Amino acid sequence: MAECVGGSSHTMDKSITLPPDQIFRNLENAKRFAIDIGGSLTKLAYYSTVQHKVAKVRSFDHTAKEAPSDKLYEISMQEEVTARLHFIKFENAYIETCLDFIKDHLVNTETKVIKATGGGLIVCCPLHGRGCNFVLKNIPHEAFVYARHADSEFRFQTTNPDIFPYLLVNIGSGVSIVKVESEDKFERIGGSSIGGGTFWGLGALLTKTKRFDELLQLASKGQHTNVDMLVKDIYGGSYGCLGLTGDLIASSFGKSATADTDFCKEDMAKSLLHMISNDIGQLACLYAKLHGLSRVYFGGFFIRGHPVTMHTITYSINFFTKGEVQALFLRHEGYLGAIGAFLKGAEEDNPNQYSWGENYAGSSGLMSVSPEMNPLQRARSGTFDMLEMDRLERQLVNLPLLQDPSSYIPDTMDLTEDAPAREYWLYCFEEALDGVVKRAVASQPDPQEAATRAEKFCQKYRHKLQTLRHQPL
Amino acid sequence: MAECVGGSSHTMDKSITLPPDQIFRNLENAKRFAIDIGGSLTKLAYYSTVQHKVAKVRSFDHTAKAPSDKLYEISMQEEVTARLHFIKFENAYIETCLDFIKDHLVNTETKVIKATGGGAIYGLTGPVDKEDEMTCLIKGCNFVLKNIPHEAFVYARHADSEFRFQTTNPDIFPYLLVNIGSGVSIVKVESEDKFERIGGSSIGGGTFWGLGALLTKTKRFDELLQLASKGQHTNVDMLVKDIYGGSYGCLGLTGDLIASSFGKSATADTDFCKEDMAKSLLHMISNDIGQLACLYAKLHGLSRVYFGGFFIRGHPVTMHTITYSINFFTKGEVQALFLRHEGYLGAIGAFLKGAEEDNPNQYSWGENYAGSSGLMSVSPEMNPLQRARSGTFDMLEMDRLERQLVNLPLLQDPSSYIPDTMDLTEDAPAREYWLYCFEEALDGVVKRAVASQPDPQEAATRAEKFCQKYRHKLQTLRHQPFAYGSLTVRSLLDTREHCLNEFNFPDPYSKIKQRENDSALKYFQKAVKALEQLSWEDRQFALVRGVLAGNVFDWGAKAVSDVLESDPEFGFEEAKRQLEVRPWLVDCFDRWLERLKGPPHKCALFFVDNSGVDIILGVMPFVRELLSRGTEVVLASNSGPALNDVTNGELQILTERIAAMDPVIRSGLKEDRLTLVQSGSSSPCLDLRWFFSPSYPSSYRIVSTAEVCVCVCVCVPPSLSRLDKVLAMVVRERQTDLVIIEGMGRAIHTNYHAMLSCESLKMAVLKNSWLADRLGGKLFSVVFKYEVPAGKC
Repeated sequence: MAECVGGSSHTMDKSITLPPDQIFRNLENAKRFAIDIGGSLTKLAYYSTVQHKVAKVRSFDHTAKEAPSDKLYEISMQEEVTARLHFIKFENAYIETCLDFIKDHLVNTETKVIKATGGGLIVCCPLHGRGCNFVLKNIPHEAFVYARHADSEFRFQTTNPDIFPYLLVNIGSGVSIVKVESEDKFERIGGSSIGGGTFWGLGALLTKTKRFDELLQLASKGQHTNVDMLVKDIYGGSYGCLGLTGDLIASSFGKSATADTDFCKEDMAKSLLHMISNDIGQLACLYAKLHGLSRVYFGGFFIRGHPVTMHTITYSINFFTKGEVQALFLRHEGYLGAIGAFLKGAEEDNPNQYSWGENYAGSSGLMSVSPEMNPLQRARSGTFDMLEMDRLERQLVNLPLLQDPSSYIPDTMDLTEDAPAREYWLYCFEEALDGVVKRAVASQPDPQEAATRAEKFCQKYRHKLQTLRHQPL
Repeated sequence: MAECVGGSSHTMDKSITLPPDQIFRNLENAKRFAIDIGGSLTKLAYYSTVQHKVAKVRSFDHTAKAPSDKLYEISMQEEVTARLHFIKFENAYIETCLDFIKDHLVNTETKVIKATGGGAIYGLTGPVDKEDEMTCLIKGCNFVLKNIPHEAFVYARHADSEFRFQTTNPDIFPYLLVNIGSGVSIVKVESEDKFERIGGSSIGGGTFWGLGALLTKTKRFDELLQLASKGQHTNVDMLVKDIYGGSYGCLGLTGDLIASSFGKSATADTDFCKEDMAKSLLHMISNDIGQLACLYAKLHGLSRVYFGGFFIRGHPVTMHTITYSINFFTKGEVQALFLRHEGYLGAIGAFLKGAEEDNPNQYSWGENYAGSSGLMSVSPEMNPLQRARSGTFDMLEMDRLERQLVNLPLLQDPSSYIPDTMDLTEDAPAREYWLYCFEEALDGVVKRAVASQPDPQEAATRAEKFCQKYRHKLQTLRHQPFAYGSLTVRSLLDTREHCLNEFNFPDPYSKIKQRENDSALKYFQKAVKALEQLSWEDRQFALVRGVLAGNVFDWGAKAVSDVLESDPEFGFEEAKRQLEVRPWLVDCFDRWLERLKGPPHKCALFFVDNSGVDIILGVMPFVRELLSRGTEVVLASNSGPALNDVTNGELQILTERIAAMDPVIRSGLKEDRLTLVQSGSSSPCLDLRWFFSPSYPSSYRIVSTAEVCVCVCVCVPPSLSRLDKVLAMVVRERQTDLVIIEGMGRAIHTNYHAMLSCESLKMAVLKNSWLADRLGGKLFSVVFKYEVPAGKC
């Protein structure tokens, strides 16, 4: 894994430091900006247009006098301008550099508006709700269930056009619990001050480790049972009459109250992580039950791509609801605030009336910046994660003839879960690549110039296939 | 406060270290043990018996040759009652305490130690049963909620009165109990035996302690709380305004709201001070628990949420943060309730479970103010001196009452009924006055207490002890008015009675009452004759004036006891002249007269007051008139002595003698149209919610100081005649349609505002100038309040 992603530094994957002009693409046409400065990460969104070629077919005029062709239609290449949404995420330390770069490259600055959201560490829930609605509606397989020990860690949910109502639990520095009932109806029904900032703040005080990601790494190596008081520490076993198993945490940090020993950083970090995840899990369950909601999406920097936090949150939700409520995570949850802010600012353009599709070529994959998945990356200073979305020309709707749209899955085989099938098809696509390149070059009027572009395509697609081999999700 | 409690080391208050034999009392009779070993404190309960004196009256045999001129004789008898002792002490003292107990046990083979709690289990000699902790906790909680008035309170730090006690509602279920020990257990209690742990959290007291110890290097829980009470959480927490510069209006978040606990320590490079970190931690945990409790309460539709566990126990700072959190999250829909005796729940429950064959739950229990330490007496915040002491004690004693308590079925709305007219906890000037008043009257009480005893020399020593104890209680109440729940004139009077009993002065007024009864009886026939000569209308007025004038004879009121002391010939007629002339301060006489012109009442329930002139020349003629009208009469008098109030035993003898002289009373008794019942009370006041007849007084007490806590409980075989049955009979079968309440204690200090579902008559003379002033009248102003419930006019 490490090798694979590490090897991607020269590719378009953009999961590592890139020259700013490769990150902030299409700036010359950028129309509108939104910026979401979080506690540690800044999210920037802008709307731009890209030119690209489309192949068009045109019927020959068979009524014309001169030499009627024996061909049915002619093919022509045309330039088309389409709208694209760019979302870029980077560490706050790079704000100055990035904004400077953007300023320098803007053409007609007077038309641009920067919407600041987030306000640092707390969540601006209406914007997040908006962003969440947008990704849930437009990105297939946006939401997934996390199961650490299952065959496939990530189980993606099929997109259901009927996304409402749902509960959005945003775990930033604090926790905001938002009930989303429709496109425009959000309510912050709860919250908690015990969130990511608490993990970070208390973790820093306890372990003298100042970086959030390092704290998570410590936690993933620790044994919480050394610090927590378990049910069995008190009762010698389970507490049957109340249905409490012996391994249940009776008191977080309960052992440090009376023990005179020193505790190791890893154990304390793990205990802290459990404490916070369980607490949020329970609160989320209670709010979900109280409001009769079965879909709970988790987001915020505490969650963002960290398997260890997704695991503890999932565990907690399963424990408290006995499976009634599922903890769902979002592939692009880090962008929700920025997307929401952007959508709000772009209301006159009615972006919500269009359908948007994820551009796989321009988007980084899930977990591309996760230090657990890619320890090498930790050493790098600035990592950038990108999401690009193309506007589709018309709104997509369900074929009305589908018997049950919500259970409809277009794909017959899910290669994420079917390893032999995945192996076969990845191999198959890689094998076919040379043929595709050949045909692509042949389709172009200028073979010389086309060959260079075809090589770039080949590299990029091969890398994507390799990535998918290791990260099928 | 510190000075006051410090000065109590020589008293019986037991709020400081005591030699073990003063803590583990009555060990020689100990029958059953229960032990609850918690994280830091051990609670021990045992069941024992005590002997104490009771005053009995016995009618002389008037058929004997040498008839006495006295109506009855008074004798002192020894009575054995069972008692439950609860002791709380630091775990460090377990060995010493158990050794002491072992050395003093007589018949060890019968004793069983019931162990609960998560701590280690210590055996004594017998087998150790590990009882289910939660079951014990719930049992204990049900027990105190049902039996101790003002057990639950709301905490409001900045209000006039920090503690606002809830009136006892006999219907305690369902409720939510949030027990914050090391972790948090959230339990829904639906009935005596049905409860369910519906939730919990690992973020509890252990987390505060554990994380606090790691962050501040302070190992003691109490010290951590003290640190927290001095800290500024805003230095460590990230507030909404730290992020937005102000409030976040669109979400309704105020700027001061904590956005992220410890959020500032994530990025700041500064060192944080211990106090601030402890405070932030406390807020974090309290808010979290508060929110969870609210959510579970809402999810299960419960409005009463009680908080307990060592995290809460007597710590104003945790009660404050929990209350704040609950108010914040429910916007007032749910109230955070705390329990005065929360620390004993496990021990009480374990004991009750072990004593199931004795059916302790079938009895009602009353707190004995004499033997119980007040709320917060062990709080380090309230009394910093105590922190320095190693082993301190906290006590609660409760008297076991002979029957289950029931509401008077005639109360219009039992759940909203509050017996006391004035809440001295909240009314500071009234509190000042009454505490002063009771202290002033103390010498007179002591004098009469000594006079009531056969051996004045020996009695003087006991009286001095009583005097010290009661004076100390008054001093405690001056500084901690909330010590025993809501402070009222009733609780002050009851405390005095309990203290008197504690030192074996069961009835200081017995001889005075005897003298008064004897002399008043001589005028009975004359008084009746005079009344019969009046016209009907004049007679009705004279009867009412008679009751009011008779009520002036009251040793409980200082202004009157002065007159009585200096002029024992103060006569009935003179009393009438002292009365306010009409219109009275509260004057419903005309309406009462109109009512009397109508059909007679079916049955009248009359709560009588004093002995002597009051009962004999005031009440009896009034009763006689009612009987003549065809109204059945039930006379309810105190079961046990209180001041010069006539007791049921005395009233029985009196009534028999009057019946011998008067045909109306005689036929009333014979035809069962005149009935005497015990009110069950031994108080000069009257709580219409709780009726019982403790013909055998019994008590159980819990002793409390900082770390050792003794609780003593007395059990007695149940008496055969159940007053609640009598009351039910009176109300339902006799169709009681009139309740008469007489006297300042029963009609003014209590029940002045009580709404009954039938007609009621409240009669009293204001024998206290301060109270008269308060009510807008003057000394000897008359309250004659006749009320008809709406819709029954």
